[in-house]
Amino acid sequence: MLASKSWDIDLAQSEKQTLFRFSSLYILLSIVIISVFSYMYYDSQKELMLQEKKSLLQEHSKTLLQDLKYLHINFDKERTYPRVPNFNSAIFDSDKKLIFSTSDIKLRLHKILYLENSKIYLVNIPESYYLGAKYVVLSMSDDEVWLKKTKKELIIFNSIAFVFMLFIGYILLRLFLKPMRDAIHLLDRFIKDTTHELNTPVSTIVTNIEMIDTSLLDEKLKKKINRIDIGAKTISNIYQDLTYLTLGNKIVSNDEKLDIYHVVLERVEYFNSLALAKKVTLSITLLQNTTLVIDKAKFSKLLDNLISNAIKYNKIKGTVEIIISKNSIIVKDSGIGIEPQNISKMQERYARFNKSSGGFGIGLSIVSHIAKEYKLNIKIDSKENQGTEVIISW
Amino acid sequence: MVKTLIFLTLFSSILFSSTIYEKNCVSCHKKLPVSIDKYFYRYLLKYSSEKDTKKAIYLYLKKPTKEKSVMAEAFISRFGVKPKTTLHDNELKKAINSYWRKYKVFGKLQ
Repeated sequence: MLASKSWDIDLAQSEKQTLFRFSSLYILLSIVIISVFSYMYYDSQKELMLQEKKSLLQEHSKTLLQDLKYLHINFDKERTYPRVPNFNSAIFDSDKKLIFSTSDIKLRLHKILYLENSKIYLVNIPESYYLGAKYVVLSMSDDEVWLKKTKKELIIFNSIAFVFMLFIGYILLRLFLKPMRDAIHLLDRFIKDTTHELNTPVSTIVTNIEMIDTSLLDEKLKKKINRIDIGAKTISNIYQDLTYLTLGNKIVSNDEKLDIYHVVLERVEYFNSLALAKKVTLSITLLQNTTLVIDKAKFSKLLDNLISNAIKYNKIKGTVEIIISKNSIIVKDSGIGIEPQNISKMQERYARFNKSSGGFGIGLSIVSHIAKEYKLNIKIDSKENQGTEVIISW
Repeated sequence: MVKTLIFLTLFSSILFSSTIYEKNCVSCHKKLPVSIDKYFYRYLLKYSSEKDTKKAIYLYLKKPTKEKSVMAEAFISRFGVKPKTTLHDNELKKAINSYWRKYKVFGKLQ
């Protein structure tokens, strides 16, 4: 995510998800690797400590056995179990039944030397079973100095390792993103160059058509001029979309208090010829006039995309209704609608679900972008073959 | 009443076992220079658990051999291997139980 942001790449949702999944998987894997190594290190340190204590325990075990031997021989006279300061011991018979214990010691035979509940245990099996003791268990408290030292070392090493792994991950991410970034940059550069070249001829056509006095023309020529007007406006619209797309992030907003109804009226008039060509009726329902502080060019772009989509994906003799209320603007059409599973993907860049009409699939992506900038909410309700309703609320 | 009966039964059983042990074991061992408890600790040294010790004593008494004896070779050479027991299995087991109870280590260490 960080890499995509720093490179100024507008990644699609699916790409972001892939990046997120990769990052999560990488971090998880790093944690697993670090955990395994940490456990191995902890285990080795524990073994080292146990080996250090082993000789001490063995020495005391030897003394204890000598005392047990003495007790065994003189059991008719002496019955005091031998005790060693700082050590506890227990003796068990061959059926693992406790004969005597100086503390709560349980017999475990999985290892002869082990650490359990902060106590170190040594299990000794003597050759002769004095007092019937087949298993002699000796225990001592673990001072846990090694544990504190190991924990400290692990925290330091793990932090360094994790930062290093993150750095490697970042480099890997950059490597993986490079082809994607190159492809997107290539496309953006191509669009930028194309739109730049389109700018002058499109402006010339639109301006000159607007300058023609249609009242002086005969009906046949008027129709032809109208068709040129529609075509030029469509190109102009695409041009503006592409310009916004390539320069969108760099366009400085010039926010002002806008009378929504007036802007809507202006844009409806602009699209009137396009709607007429498809025999689509454009209507405005003003429930309550409202104002919004927003950049006029951006709000017009937002409206243009919604209206042109509503016309483009409409039926012949269909309707487009624009409802203005206090906190929302609704563009409702009687068009072909969208499949429910595609609604969530509509705002993705280059997403197209109808191949019968032209377009780049960038219209709603721009709408979404502008709405995000001005914290406007977008809700799309659509029913196949019944129509689509786009609600922009604030 | 029931408790008293159970207690009396157990008590009489222990007393009876003890009598078998005293009559058939202690009486002969008294004549030997090594006291009877020393044999017990010899068994304990070799067999450790109650089950294994009792089993070893039983097997030895049923068919005493030099190999099965826990005593030192010099002791066997001097006093020989004891004759086979004439006690019934049941009586023998009772006598061994008494022997175990008398010299066991469990509960005696301080």
